Amino acid sequence: MASFTPYTYIQCPCHDSTSQSRTADDAPPPTTTLPELSENDDDHAFDPRAHRSTFSLYPLEHLLYCDVCHQIRCPRCVTEELVTIYCPNCLFEVGTSSLKTEGNRLTSDYLHLNKSLTAANRTLTLDAHVAVSNARYVSAPWPSKLSKPPPDPTLLSADSATPIPPGPWVLTCSYCHWNSSEIGVKFDKPQGIFGQLQKLRYGEDQSKHVVSGDTSPTKTDSVPETNKARFAALKSFYGSQTVGANPGAGLSGLGDYGLNSPGALTRIMSIYSGNINGLKPKTKSSVMREADSPNEGFQLSDLDEGAAISQLRRDGWDGTVTGDQAKTQVEEGAQFADQLWPIPYLLRAKRSKRCPVCRHIISKPESKVSNTRWRIRLIANNSIPSISIKPLNPPPGSGLLKPLQPAHFLLTFKNPLFDDVKVTLATPATTPGRFASRVTVLCPEFQIDANPDNDMYLDDVLKDGEKERQRRRGDEGIHQAEAGKIWERGRNWVSIIVEVIPSSLRIEPPPAILVKDGDPEPDLSPLREDEDVLEIPMFVRLEWESEASHDQVGAATSREKDAKEKRELAYWCAIGIGRISQE
Amino acid sequence: MASNTGLASLPHRTVSSIRAGAHSATTPGPPQTPARPISSTFGSPSGSSRVDDDPIVIELGSRKLRLGFAGDAAPKRIVAISPEQQRRTGDFRVWEPDFSSQWRSRASGKPWGADHELWQLDVRGQDLGVVEDKLERELRDALFKYLLVDSRPRKVTLVLPPTLPIPLLSSTLNTLFHRFQSPTISLLSSPVMAAFAAGTRSALVIDLGWHETTVTAVYEYHEVQSWRTVRAGKLLMEETYELLLQAVRGYATMERTEQTEDRLLDESLSFEECEEVATRMLWCKKAARQPHRKTSEEGLATVHEHEEEGEEIPPTEDHSPMAITLNSCKPPKTVEIPFSQLAEPCEAAFFETRLSLSSFDDHELPVHHLVYRALLQLPLDVRAICMSRIIFTGGCSHIFGLRSRIFDEVSIQVEDQGWDPVRGKGSEQCKTNLKLHRDSSRQATKNGSVPVVIQPDMTNGNGEATEPQVKAADAPQEVDHVENLIRKEQNYKPQVQGFLRAIDTLGPWCGGSLATQMKIPALATIDREIWLQQGVNGASRPSEVDIKMGQRQSMGPSGLMRGQAAQPNNWTLGVWGTMF
Ligand SMILES: [Zn+2]
Ligand SMILES: [Zn+2]
Ligand SMILES: [Zn+2]
Ligand SMILES: [Zn+2]
Repeated sequence: MASFTPYTYIQCPCHDSTSQSRTADDAPPPTTTLPELSENDDDHAFDPRAHRSTFSLYPLEHLLYCDVCHQIRCPRCVTEELVTIYCPNCLFEVGTSSLKTEGNRLTSDYLHLNKSLTAANRTLTLDAHVAVSNARYVSAPWPSKLSKPPPDPTLLSADSATPIPPGPWVLTCSYCHWNSSEIGVKFDKPQGIFGQLQKLRYGEDQSKHVVSGDTSPTKTDSVPETNKARFAALKSFYGSQTVGANPGAGLSGLGDYGLNSPGALTRIMSIYSGNINGLKPKTKSSVMREADSPNEGFQLSDLDEGAAISQLRRDGWDGTVTGDQAKTQVEEGAQFADQLWPIPYLLRAKRSKRCPVCRHIISKPESKVSNTRWRIRLIANNSIPSISIKPLNPPPGSGLLKPLQPAHFLLTFKNPLFDDVKVTLATPATTPGRFASRVTVLCPEFQIDANPDNDMYLDDVLKDGEKERQRRRGDEGIHQAEAGKIWERGRNWVSIIVEVIPSSLRIEPPPAILVKDGDPEPDLSPLREDEDVLEIPMFVRLEWESEASHDQVGAATSREKDAKEKRELAYWCAIGIGRISQE
Repeated sequence: MASNTGLASLPHRTVSSIRAGAHSATTPGPPQTPARPISSTFGSPSGSSRVDDDPIVIELGSRKLRLGFAGDAAPKRIVAISPEQQRRTGDFRVWEPDFSSQWRSRASGKPWGADHELWQLDVRGQDLGVVEDKLERELRDALFKYLLVDSRPRKVTLVLPPTLPIPLLSSTLNTLFHRFQSPTISLLSSPVMAAFAAGTRSALVIDLGWHETTVTAVYEYHEVQSWRTVRAGKLLMEETYELLLQAVRGYATMERTEQTEDRLLDESLSFEECEEVATRMLWCKKAARQPHRKTSEEGLATVHEHEEEGEEIPPTEDHSPMAITLNSCKPPKTVEIPFSQLAEPCEAAFFETRLSLSSFDDHELPVHHLVYRALLQLPLDVRAICMSRIIFTGGCSHIFGLRSRIFDEVSIQVEDQGWDPVRGKGSEQCKTNLKLHRDSSRQATKNGSVPVVIQPDMTNGNGEATEPQVKAADAPQEVDHVENLIRKEQNYKPQVQGFLRAIDTLGPWCGGSLATQMKIPALATIDREIWLQQGVNGASRPSEVDIKMGQRQSMGPSGLMRGQAAQPNNWTLGVWGTMF
């Protein structure tokens, strides 16, 4: 609790846009006119502690910026496209087409392993892309290595040139030294681990159940045991029933049992439409029956769970699967520790991001998995001022804010733009929520000079110009904690002072004299998480003029046909100043 | 329970006014306006096309979401709603070592376990904006991280519980249409899909869920009716909490905690830990006696549970301590709870056999009574089919012994009371060997606590067909010449009916996956454009449309709205529309 780092969260203007009618692409944000922020009018005030705010607040680093629309873009208001899909463990790149067949986890790792073998010629090449979640060590799926059970490190660290030794192989966790022989999992060969696992688990090659579109009798003879196999059996059953019900519509189409025409099953499903009373099957439907044998996917419930109850008694708390373990399992339903299985790594994707309005790409990674750089990345950090917070006079001792004692903080705004920016700030007089601290921004309007970093050659010129301007503004005399005056100014930054009077955190009913009839019941519940943090909702409006971009979509804001265009951006942010002492 | 009273204030209002009512700070506005004119022509990056045509199937529950591609045998991602996902982006304190020990400050000021729920079924006072935000974040995370899709608009199939209130459905549709640009959303009923995924067309689906247990009769792919009770997961958790709290206190006091604030004391346990214990350690006792049919099969009329493995002590009499380490109380404590005690929460939550039937309100009927009532109210032929197709679904169905207990209790009631809604013939015969509480429960039935149908009237005073549930019950089964014809068909097998039988399902999600892949028309399909223009107000009640079309609630043709876009009034929200 003692350490507290001040922070700034920004609310992306896209929040709740579903309930705000905003139509034009780059129309100014809905709050171009500053909201009246008096104590009486809290209708529009932004409460950073409100539940909904949680979902729309972002640290500046998480935000992108569309430089065509001149608008902030958060993860909720960009459209994403896949660039590369890969295994985060070995960086193996997975073709997007194979996702369809393999799903979101790397399952057929045969090729994959071979690639790993040749690519890296040192010890860990037999990475099986299988994370192990075992009974005792669950929190994170540690990468495990495939190794030979007898401690024979020489073989493992051998080059790929060395012939692969014969099995059996086990999965080991280098972190806790657990190995899969504990659960009886051993492999004949160090390839196709997922397939071998499936085989071990279900005792047979499951792939034959998964074959779809085939209703030949040889398939239906086998009794499906896995859900996957039952699913396939059901599908095949429904398919055969549809064909039987309407031979004409039967297999005319390719695949999908000829169900490309939605007519077939529609009819079956609707045959019984109408009144349920006195309902009689019609002739046509009668040929469609229900599944009634296991090879059609039908299964009676086994309600006798006496064995499971006995196991629960015998194995106790430690024998059961923890919630975290159950969540990480690929298949649902494990209840005892011995039902846990190694899990393959979840694949990850590199994505590029577009502005949904103008469709420009605002973020694009290098497509190679190993290259972590970006081709395009328009981060908001480069377009809107950052705000840093520090106490004017560092409070002694705990660093906590003392209730009811005024404290001053320096807010430093740094302008990343190459244009001067006019900043207008607004805060409610008191913070929203149960504990209302008073907030005063001494200087709510100021100008920040342009970021000169772009051009060293111009630097000196600018510096002179800057001084000139400062002189003109008459705010050269710095360090004034006075209303309307900035505290300090730098080349592209300005510090201002915010005075806060932290509220007391005591939870007590309001004095009876202040309670009116019909007032809601006072909330006397104990202090909530972060309720002791003094967080200031601050509305920031930026105005600047910049070069008119010609490829601009609907540049409605340009008034004069000048080269300069007036721009405006406004958003709420939440500024975490410090924790209030609970004394 | 989302009762009619809860919804009564909401019908025929715009979503915005619903929102405004729910949370005054939300700026009301016409929800019909799209966020931005996002064209449906999303650029398709060359090559990176993952199953472009496979719709995404989403099963929605109060606690969990299941997501995956149509045609897959299992969902790719099962989301458990958790408070960790409801923190600000960039807040990494979840990973700090003392995070879980600080659960009290996070739980303060909220209903118990609220952060683990997507929504409450009672929409009063609920901020639907928060529901949308939660849902959006979970969907985005699941779709991008686990399904590895891009942002291109995709068709979505929603598998929904039958009792979902309209405002929640509306929020869900808003989220999918506005935030994910789905071109169309199809709605499927989760009990119907449970039956579909069991290979049957009819079933009695017992969904042991979180907020409530619902019993839904499905007949020929139609939801005939739903009954519900609050005896479900949430109540079970309350009972587990009390069990654990007493263990922590060393069984000193039997006082129960009523206030949420009382659950933030040092000795209190976190919701998370209670749930962990509940999912890992609870089990359910057998019925006080086994139903006759079963015992006669075994040849022995065993009275009490001296069953199978003879040497073992029956679990109910096993008082050997089970050590459970609890970390959320201060200080952490390892409690020892007798094994037999671990069956008590189930008794209290689902059965409450100590109390007489008359002491229960309709919404808190013990599960086995609810199932029996459901069967009792069904028309004879529907009942005969449904009783042989009992399907258990829902999170609580995984508790060891619970399904068989419910099944046996229902069997016993059928044996004792038969199917006479007033007084069973069988009850006369069994009178002598009945227990006291059974007697009183029968008494209650006799005293005219006539089973009340919870599902609202489907036709709402259109004068048409408020189908009485029992009307056909006494209609004798007549020999049908059509049936004789059928028999000649090769494919024909006589329908199993007339006795209680439980069957297994792959679950509603799988049903939805299969149905979507096989292009079975949904209960309702909603087009994005129409939703954006009209919102929930545009939906006709299914009854209105269906009467015009001469059919009711059909799962059937023309998807109720597609192809009828020219008459924009003729689209519905399927059975959910009747919740108005
Ligand atoms: Zn955004
Ligand atoms: Zn890998
Ligand atoms: Zn390990
Ligand atoms: Zn843009």
